[in-house]
Amino acid sequence: MRVYTKLFYSLCLLILLGLSSENLIAQNLENFEEKVTEFTLDNGLHFIIIERHDAPVVSFYTQVNVGGIDEPMGNTGIAHIFEHLAFKGDHYVGTTDWVAEKKVIDQMDEVYKTWLYESYKPNPDTGLMAEKWEEFQALQEEAKTYVVNNEFSQVVQRNGGTGMNASTRWDFTDYFYSLPSNKVELWFSLEAGRFMQPTYREFYIEKEVVREERRMRTDSNPFGRLVEEFLATAYAAHPYGRPIVGWNSDITASTIEDAHEFYETYYVPSNITFGIAGDVDPEQMKKFAEEYFGDMRGKGKVAPPVTTIEPEQRGERRVVIEGNSQPLMMFGYHTVSATHPDYEPLILLGRILSSGRTSILYKEFIEEQQTALQIQNFEGIPGTRYPGLFLSLVVPNTGVDLDSLEQSIYDEFDEVKEGAITQEQLDRVRTNLRAGIIRSLANNTGLASYFVNTHVEQGSWKDVFNQLDRYEAVTLEDLQRVASTYLTKKNRTVGLTVKIDS
Amino acid sequence: MITIMKRTVLFLFMMLLSVSVMAQKKYDEITYPELNEFEKANVEEFTLDNGITFYLVEDKELPLIRVSVTVRTGSLLEPSSKTGLASLTGQVMREGGSVNYPADELNLLLENNAAFMSTFIGFGSGGASMNLLKEDFDELLPVFVDLIQNPAFPEDKIDLAKTQAKSNISRRNDGQQGIAVREFRKLIYGKDIPYTTQAEYATIDAITKEDMIDFHKQAFVGNNMMIGVIGDFDTRDMKRKLEEDFGSLNAGSETTLLYPDIDYDFPSTVNLIDKPDVNQSFVFAGHIGGLRENPDYAALQLMNEVLSGSGIGSGRLFQTVRSDLGLAYSVFGEYSSNINYPGFFYVGVMTQSSTTAEAIDAMLAELRKLQNESVPEEELNEAKDRFLNSLVFRYDSKNKILSERINNEYNGLPQDYFDQYVEQLKQVTSEDIKHVANEYIKPDKVQILVVGNAEEIGDQLNKYGVVNNVDISIPLPASDEEEVSGDAAEGKALLEKMAKSINPDGKQVGNVVVQSTVTQVTPMGAIDIKNSATFNYKEVSMVANLETPQGNVTMEVKNGSGVMKAMGQEQPLPPPMASAMTDDIRYHYLSASSKHENLEAEYLGMEEVDGKDYAALRIIAENPITFLVDPETGLPHFSRKAQLNMQTGTFVTLVVSYSDWRNVDGVMYAFSTETVNDGEKASATIFEEVSIN
Repeated sequence: MRVYTKLFYSLCLLILLGLSSENLIAQNLENFEEKVTEFTLDNGLHFIIIERHDAPVVSFYTQVNVGGIDEPMGNTGIAHIFEHLAFKGDHYVGTTDWVAEKKVIDQMDEVYKTWLYESYKPNPDTGLMAEKWEEFQALQEEAKTYVVNNEFSQVVQRNGGTGMNASTRWDFTDYFYSLPSNKVELWFSLEAGRFMQPTYREFYIEKEVVREERRMRTDSNPFGRLVEEFLATAYAAHPYGRPIVGWNSDITASTIEDAHEFYETYYVPSNITFGIAGDVDPEQMKKFAEEYFGDMRGKGKVAPPVTTIEPEQRGERRVVIEGNSQPLMMFGYHTVSATHPDYEPLILLGRILSSGRTSILYKEFIEEQQTALQIQNFEGIPGTRYPGLFLSLVVPNTGVDLDSLEQSIYDEFDEVKEGAITQEQLDRVRTNLRAGIIRSLANNTGLASYFVNTHVEQGSWKDVFNQLDRYEAVTLEDLQRVASTYLTKKNRTVGLTVKIDS
Repeated sequence: MITIMKRTVLFLFMMLLSVSVMAQKKYDEITYPELNEFEKANVEEFTLDNGITFYLVEDKELPLIRVSVTVRTGSLLEPSSKTGLASLTGQVMREGGSVNYPADELNLLLENNAAFMSTFIGFGSGGASMNLLKEDFDELLPVFVDLIQNPAFPEDKIDLAKTQAKSNISRRNDGQQGIAVREFRKLIYGKDIPYTTQAEYATIDAITKEDMIDFHKQAFVGNNMMIGVIGDFDTRDMKRKLEEDFGSLNAGSETTLLYPDIDYDFPSTVNLIDKPDVNQSFVFAGHIGGLRENPDYAALQLMNEVLSGSGIGSGRLFQTVRSDLGLAYSVFGEYSSNINYPGFFYVGVMTQSSTTAEAIDAMLAELRKLQNESVPEEELNEAKDRFLNSLVFRYDSKNKILSERINNEYNGLPQDYFDQYVEQLKQVTSEDIKHVANEYIKPDKVQILVVGNAEEIGDQLNKYGVVNNVDISIPLPASDEEEVSGDAAEGKALLEKMAKSINPDGKQVGNVVVQSTVTQVTPMGAIDIKNSATFNYKEVSMVANLETPQGNVTMEVKNGSGVMKAMGQEQPLPPPMASAMTDDIRYHYLSASSKHENLEAEYLGMEEVDGKDYAALRIIAENPITFLVDPETGLPHFSRKAQLNMQTGTFVTLVVSYSDWRNVDGVMYAFSTETVNDGEKASATIFEEVSIN
């Protein structure tokens, strides 16, 4: 009896909650319309200011709409290298004498290029190479004498800055940190400096740091190895198949000239959005923005889009890495970009399948069959700017037969195609989606990044709230349709790591 | 100096040019307004009769409420034979649901309302938390209390959690960082101490439902609990609800957590863990650290700040090892101080194999520099500023204030503990840092641990001392072989009888050379493999040449290890496989017969197989083997032992039946054998030629 009463009760609650959290969202949009100020400078730079006066702190978030997919052939990793270099300062910060330093940097790049091009010849002149390498190293040492080690980061941190970092993705690059709110002008000064006066300081040493990052994240990590191999298999043409950190030989091949060309093409005002959330006055932000960023070059310039379209897949693709670690399994199906009408049904489908303890795959494989330790659907990997993947990672339990686990997962997908998902399951993930939005509004860093990401992806920060209309419109038939359309064998890539002795 | 020069240059520059750029200021020209005043969150505290203390903070920004329960318990309390008990208890509390809200129902109820509940038990504390939309609070609070008070611990969820725990054990050597942290702690704290005990297959198997019920019952009582509540509520109203729902909890008695002392004598050691599938070394170097109550704590923290900074680009290790030398993406280090037991001192780096020693030297040099040179005033002030100017972030959310309050209370620290620390930190001088660096850091008495690719690293580590190769192989689960103690005297007699039947003249058995066909059952069907092999039962060695469908394979086993050669490649056999094959040779019936004087055996009684009675004879060994001996002929018809299935990590019962006994040069040999794994036929072997020398 008790169980039924409770179920009935929770159904009533569900209906109530469904209504009330929708109201909450609507309320929140109104609230935020009062708190958010947006403006675009003449040169095209866009700012989103979110007022939040609870504590005298402020978080900054800079999103540049350029990532791994925008890199030219032969220079994979350059977006990420540039991101590292953005911490080296500008013509004033990080140097004792920029004019002299620049001269040495330019010379160093010329010598490196001579060495590099020689190295690719069928019969390289090793004597010349050794000579150039020595010359290059001497110049690198000379350049170091002008460097004020990590001055940029130290100025930020000395002024109380926290959480400073940056990330490079396939779709975009972002830079962020927080300051006590009386120090906002410092951010404007430093941020304008690093994006308006790139220096390529310590470029070649930083490439070695990046190589170590590659060894750490990819070469020496079973999951990293699988992801790199998996994406290279899933994408035959589109740059989503390339590693963000870059192929090792491309890291070697990239020069300061390449980095500068990349900057000139993609770090243009129309391609950059800033978010500022916290205890700030929007009028003053606007004043600072004009003062510090008003003279950024590149007005009217538009960054070129990625023009390669991934061709339709002709059959299942599969990659198996043999190694010493326990098995991992990935599945990916080519889908759509974030602005395609099927995007929302696919997100909901992914969550119904694997998000939470009531999800279909969790119940079946973690709890019932106990064949998996973890099943997770990734959203937004590799990206959403162009058609991405419906991507699942499976961590099998010890001793499980991988072939039959794989087949059982496809069987679950097939049931979904035949209409196994219930209205209750659909409503439940929508309820959690709404609550997730509310929870994401709780801190400055989250607000600034969420609003800016949404502006870049969907054209307006308001879509943080308005997206719900699209999610509300999704029906069970939509779920069935997208499952049947995209989750097909022909459209699938499978990646596995297996233990050598099994 | 640099700053002053820059200002002068800039000033001249501005005098010469127009003033239109005046508005843009360099970082060192900006004057900052005062920081806005703000109201810090107010924490309301009250205690119930059953001992629970509550801390309430109103935060009306979003329509959410969070409840977090801190419980005085921890895996520190669990017996080492049941390592994993505490964490499994914490996990199954939530996974298994409560008596009134079984798992499935609970999960639906929570997810239908976008609410979260969790429970956990860590090393020195445990807890439970709930996060929900405020409108669900009244309905879900009783559910939360029920979960804390009456967890059901159903068998199926216990089994699931154990399976998962074992799966995690099997994966624990996959990640380089996980290995490094775990093994470095063992070097510092030793192995038989709660700070480093780790769950094994055997300790997980030993945990019962009753253990969990007891552990929970001791821990989750009023006198062990502090509860923080934050969110959109009215304090008076909330107090009433909490009193109502938590009032019924048992008061119990407060748990005492005893942290064992550590006896550390600063050995210098060099340790290597080989991981052939990486191209980067994960390095730790260090020794024991200290306690928070040390009066030098503030100076040590500031030393840490100088050494490692508090973010990207600060700290000497980052500046030297990463920015200057380009040796690493990740480099770190600190002298850590714990409240209840010593922390440890370490520097660490991830660097390509070939620069392992270079990176270690660079880090050690930074330590010596801290000891030999005073930190320049400017650098010290920078380090202090980083800390002091970011203090506002300690209070930038009401939740941080609440957490700090509960944390201080839990650890018995005064409420103004942090403020005292801030004052001490302001007083620290360069000399203080030099002093603590010399007093507490011993660069010549560090233990070095490298997890990396031994072949690529080569002999780089030799200069630091004798390199210990650390064995991290995972102890295998105990076999299910029944523990029956049989009769030793009768066992001895039976073994002698078997030996006499197999080798009546007591002939010295040297090399046994065989030609055979092995029919192996595989998922693709049965395949035949020709085998020509030589066994030496005295030396416990074997060489086998197998003609497999994939080509010829040579396997060699000697001195407990083995190699496999195929297609011009040679690779070592996995240790568990090599040791199983060694055992096969050592306890082969020929072997058992020729050195029976040296073996211990037990007679287990008669056993019936297919209507025939056999005498069961167990040879005592680490992994015992039982022969079923025909009482008339004295020949073994079956042998039985537990063997590890390498793919599943579990034991199977391996039964070999012997038939077609023939006399070869005066010794009996079974020309046909069949192997059955857990009741399923695995292989059959027909011997074509056998010679015994």
